[in-house]
Amino acid sequence: MAKTSSAKKSSTTLLLVVFLMAAAAAFMALKAATDRVSREKLPGSSIIYIPSGKFLKYATFGYRAVAADAIYLWAIQYYSTPTIDDRFDHLDHIFAIINELDPRYQDPYEVGALIAVQEARNPAAAFSILDRGAANNPDQWVYPFNAGHVALMTLKDYPLAEKYFEQCMKIPGAPEFVERLRANAIFKKGDLRTSWETWLEIYKKAPDERTKKIASNHLYNVKATIDAAAVDDAAAKYRERFGRPPSDLETLFRTGFLREVPKDMDGQDYLYDPATGKVKTVTSPWRR
Amino acid sequence: MKIGAIAGITFKEAKRDRILYLLFFFAALGIGGARVLAILTVGDRVKIIKDVGLASISLFGVLMAILIGTGLVYKEIDKKTIFTLLSKPLHRAEFILGKFLGLVLTLFVMTLFMSLIFLAIVFAHTLKIEGTLLVAVGYIFLELVLVTAVAILFSSFSTPILSSLFALAFYLIGHLSWGLELILKKMAPGAGKTLVRFLYTVLPDLENFNFRTEVVHGLPIPPGIYLSSFLYGVCYTAFILGLAVLVFRRRDFI
Amino acid sequence: MADAIRIDNLQKKFRLGFIPKTRQILKGITFSVREGEIFGYLGPNGAGKTTTIKCLLGLIRPDAGTIEIFGRSHFSPRSRQTLGFLPENPYFYDYLTATEFLAFTADLFGLGRVEKEERIARLLKLVGLERAAGLPLRKFSRGMLQRAGLAQALINDPKLVILDEPLGGMDPIGRKEIRDIIVRFKDEGKTVFFTSHILQDIEMICDRVAIIVGGRIVKEGALRDLVSERILFTEVTVSGLSPDAFRDLGESISAQGDRVLLKVYDESKVDAVLDLVHGQKGRLVSLSPRTETLEDIFVETVTRT
Repeated sequence: MAKTSSAKKSSTTLLLVVFLMAAAAAFMALKAATDRVSREKLPGSSIIYIPSGKFLKYATFGYRAVAADAIYLWAIQYYSTPTIDDRFDHLDHIFAIINELDPRYQDPYEVGALIAVQEARNPAAAFSILDRGAANNPDQWVYPFNAGHVALMTLKDYPLAEKYFEQCMKIPGAPEFVERLRANAIFKKGDLRTSWETWLEIYKKAPDERTKKIASNHLYNVKATIDAAAVDDAAAKYRERFGRPPSDLETLFRTGFLREVPKDMDGQDYLYDPATGKVKTVTSPWRR
Repeated sequence: MKIGAIAGITFKEAKRDRILYLLFFFAALGIGGARVLAILTVGDRVKIIKDVGLASISLFGVLMAILIGTGLVYKEIDKKTIFTLLSKPLHRAEFILGKFLGLVLTLFVMTLFMSLIFLAIVFAHTLKIEGTLLVAVGYIFLELVLVTAVAILFSSFSTPILSSLFALAFYLIGHLSWGLELILKKMAPGAGKTLVRFLYTVLPDLENFNFRTEVVHGLPIPPGIYLSSFLYGVCYTAFILGLAVLVFRRRDFI
Repeated sequence: MADAIRIDNLQKKFRLGFIPKTRQILKGITFSVREGEIFGYLGPNGAGKTTTIKCLLGLIRPDAGTIEIFGRSHFSPRSRQTLGFLPENPYFYDYLTATEFLAFTADLFGLGRVEKEERIARLLKLVGLERAAGLPLRKFSRGMLQRAGLAQALINDPKLVILDEPLGGMDPIGRKEIRDIIVRFKDEGKTVFFTSHILQDIEMICDRVAIIVGGRIVKEGALRDLVSERILFTEVTVSGLSPDAFRDLGESISAQGDRVLLKVYDESKVDAVLDLVHGQKGRLVSLSPRTETLEDIFVETVTRT
């Protein structure tokens, strides 16, 4: 009797141990299975090792998003306090932490860039923040859009603006006028040839009359600029040769400095000023 | 059903514990406070409400599970009510399972109330209830169930303070599992790596139940993960309860 | 007659303290309790009485030895199906009322609803707690808790009732009631196993006893056999005579007024005392032979060990 009872007790223990091992095997297998399912990992969260952001992420135990919110809230209050003189010193750094903790939180990118440009007068920080926003949220067109604007307006860095607008264009959902912003940036940067081609593209693809008209105006402007440059160049050469600017465009043409007398896109003549040797358009390109 | 009887009185006893209501009060405060915090932010207010709300439910739920769970078995032993209980025709496993179910029931009720407050506030802001929020809360509850099992395991052989610390450590380790994953990627193959790999597989990965980020940002949740996470939680809980029964069976009650 | 309890060579040691010091509590206990009898288990404090009971109930795992309850190994919970236990200081869930507590206990035995209600009502009446049925247990006095404990020990109509110090802390009326209940158990065919310090009660109701000292059974047997009918001395109270008259015959314990109390050790001298009383025209107030009691046996056994 006694032997069977303690045997029974150890057999139950054995059963328990077997159950434990089965359960352990099961959860280990399930863990492997769960790992294989790729959860949309928030991009950009572990590429570059910047101590503070990383550490904070480790230390927040699954409450990353709340930590991001908290720090962002604090940042808003911090940057609204004018008495803190050196508050812009670590602007990018602070917003980098927020972005690191919650790369999909959109507001901090835009607001951070805004503060950088308007208050801190630090466009480089703005670009850093916006680039991060674009990298972490490739589906959001606002970031290259904003960056393009900063390049265009604040820095007057037209190649940079062009690059951003081009990046923005490619994102589905970007406004249709970004294309035109890009074309304009190309124009401003001085690559007239490409500018003409770009505007021609836009003209051809224009979905409505208004867009067509805008494109047409720009094309007019580009042609006018090209023509003006050509005339300017030819007139300078004439002047060099003859000591004074030509009296009119025909003279330039007859003497071979100009291949042809340019007309504007509407077929009109340009207004030539013999004193300066430059041409102007009859009408403003924007009021044709 | 004997397990049911024990679950019943455990529930009755747990809901008398004032700590439960104190934590619930703070949770409600946290969720309600989200509404206030939202005013301070620039931009999307609802995100902060959802974040803080879910975080409150999760954090205070875990505290409830740990603080009440670690006292459950210990109190019975300390107050010696366990003598009368175990002198009945009861398997020790039935005792442990009954305590576990009673506490799970208590947590279910508390989570339900916290969620109702949370959903009400979200509804007030967005005028709709997203099903995904319920999913997030559901998996928070699964995490609480697992933490409860751990609390009971430690409570069956240790004092409440130590048990609380162990259970808390379990929770923290559970959320740092991906840190081990990172280490694994950087290690050279060898005995060390095998050990770390083993630890990584055995130690809990509580991030499997964390859908808060996806839900708040509206990211898609791959359907395969619902089942595998759920089963993972169930199997791990079963494992912990099995351990608790094993430990409890060998105990002498002096 | 089958054995309700059979314990054979039960051993248990405890490791206590931070640097574990081993103490052997039970050093090989062997005894048995026959079905249908009232069995008393006595011993000084720390002898191992409660440890034995805890081993019986499966609360403690023995190091060696076997325990059988109605022929079934004590490890299986089923052996406790027909068992009722009242612990020494009743520990119950103090926020439950008496009724709720008994209902919970009944659930643990798997009793049906109708049966449950009937038994609870009957038991509350039996132990005299009908009027306190709705009070939470934390409002109960010690005596009331003891009665509640007795009720919960009987909820499953057990064949074997184990009571650890059931009469401790009760007033004389309470003790009488409990004694009567225990005797009634025997009439109903139940087996009773209990420990007590109050030896008079054991002497009054037990059939067999065992004395445990220092983890060993030093005496076991029927009460009748252990306690001989030998007369230790005779107490004689007389009046109307002076103590000096009895100097040769006995020891004078006290003299109050004209009453003298004598202790006569030699049985043969008792008649001589009576003759003296008659002869001197004194009055015999009382005469009581004092036989050996359990207490005498107990003290003698313990001091000897």
